[in-house]
Amino acid sequence: MSDTRILDKGTPPERFARGWHCLGLADSFGDGKPHRIEAFGGQLVVWQDTQGGLNVLDGYCRHMGGDLTQGTVKGDEIACPFHDWRWGGDGKCKAIPYARRVPLRARTQKYPTAIRNGQLLIWHDVEGSAADHDLLPPELPGVGTDEYTDWTWEVVPITDSHCRELIDNVVDMAHFYYVHFSFPTSFRNVFEGHQATQFMESKGRPDMTGGYGDAELFLKSEATYYGPSYMINWLDVDYKGFETEVILINCHIPTGPDSFTLQYGITVKKPEGIDDKTAAYISKKYAEMFGGGFLQDVHIWKNKVPVQNPLLCEEDGPVYQLRRWYEQFYVDRADVQPEMVDRFEFEVDTTKANEYWQEEVAQNLARKAADEKAADEAPTSTESDTPSVMTGT
Amino acid sequence: MASFVPTSADTLEDQRLYTSARLTDVACLDCLARVGVKKNSDHHTSIQWSREAREACPELSRRDGRGRDHHQGCPRLSASIESAVREGKVDIGAEDGY
Repeated sequence: MSDTRILDKGTPPERFARGWHCLGLADSFGDGKPHRIEAFGGQLVVWQDTQGGLNVLDGYCRHMGGDLTQGTVKGDEIACPFHDWRWGGDGKCKAIPYARRVPLRARTQKYPTAIRNGQLLIWHDVEGSAADHDLLPPELPGVGTDEYTDWTWEVVPITDSHCRELIDNVVDMAHFYYVHFSFPTSFRNVFEGHQATQFMESKGRPDMTGGYGDAELFLKSEATYYGPSYMINWLDVDYKGFETEVILINCHIPTGPDSFTLQYGITVKKPEGIDDKTAAYISKKYAEMFGGGFLQDVHIWKNKVPVQNPLLCEEDGPVYQLRRWYEQFYVDRADVQPEMVDRFEFEVDTTKANEYWQEEVAQNLARKAADEKAADEAPTSTESDTPSVMTGT
Repeated sequence: MASFVPTSADTLEDQRLYTSARLTDVACLDCLARVGVKKNSDHHTSIQWSREAREACPELSRRDGRGRDHHQGCPRLSASIESAVREGKVDIGAEDGY
């Protein structure tokens, strides 16, 4: 028998997670038109009714399978482009303009909705349970008022990755150094019930730009998943002594067995004495920075393989316990085991890792300085360094 | 219905090794909570609660669970674990890199 370790790629789940999923900013659906959202292996139609309420149904008409997202909003209903069947937000067919009556069985899949922090969320459960409003993410005090900037919102489709890759980041201390160019100096996880939290303090790497790389960038980050797909990340950012409170929403909708739509939003607490235009600019810059961070992750995800049996070292976070927590959303409610939801705490020892990393960074800086000196002595024109994304705030 | 099904029996052993092996029972000195503790080093701590332990902890019960204090541990339990470590009741060290 060989001692070679085998990667167990496992088989992906046959279902999509139970819980609240965010479809985007509520305002973006309020233009009187049907909107298409790819989700759960199919598509959804979203529209606003005359009362201002947002409705979400399966995207295909139960009559002959017409694409409701290409239909028309008529009154409170979405009308199918194929035969004008009118569907209400409650999932019932309200009218068939050419028919004597509507079949009693004319009901389609509707998704219960909720608005949180200016975003539209829907409840998804393959068991068809009633929406559990106790599991909604919390309202963020002050967000949506003049205290905070408007959301900067981005949508990024991801292919060739199961969304669990995104979840794994919750415990992945070391990737913050290698992928996002920061030193995590403190790193802690807590899982309990439907919540999974990462607490991290980090500073940017002085030998890198892009991502979170920057010697003068300090982050204190508390990030909690409320259910399988909606994370609130509170970030206290200190850049060159200028402190900013940033809130990042990191959420996703699974679209297929190995694809999902990543969405993220940024709002910034307006610093005192700064006009709205400048505050919006700061918000945009942070969105670019964290957006760049996601793209760094995406590149890794697209090129890696799934692994059921990660091999861990002492400096790694609790991947197995996080996945045990995540499993609760993929089994029937009756099959949720105590260990999936019992409280679990994990403090990563970052001391050794930081010693090694400081050494590596010092070497990189010395090499860079030597290169620059050599370049200065050579009589060629030098290209300017790519400016740090944070420059200008 | 299981999800993310492993295709190797060894994976199940890995799951046991990383989640439940080497947990030492530590009782809180201030309440009836008993938790499983693993320490791979002085600065590393892994704490596995049970429902019974969680309900016994007055400190955590005071929090509503929705706020930003979710990640903070119970200071009394931390002190109890430190005390157990001082008394040599909790082994410190990793096996085979973990």
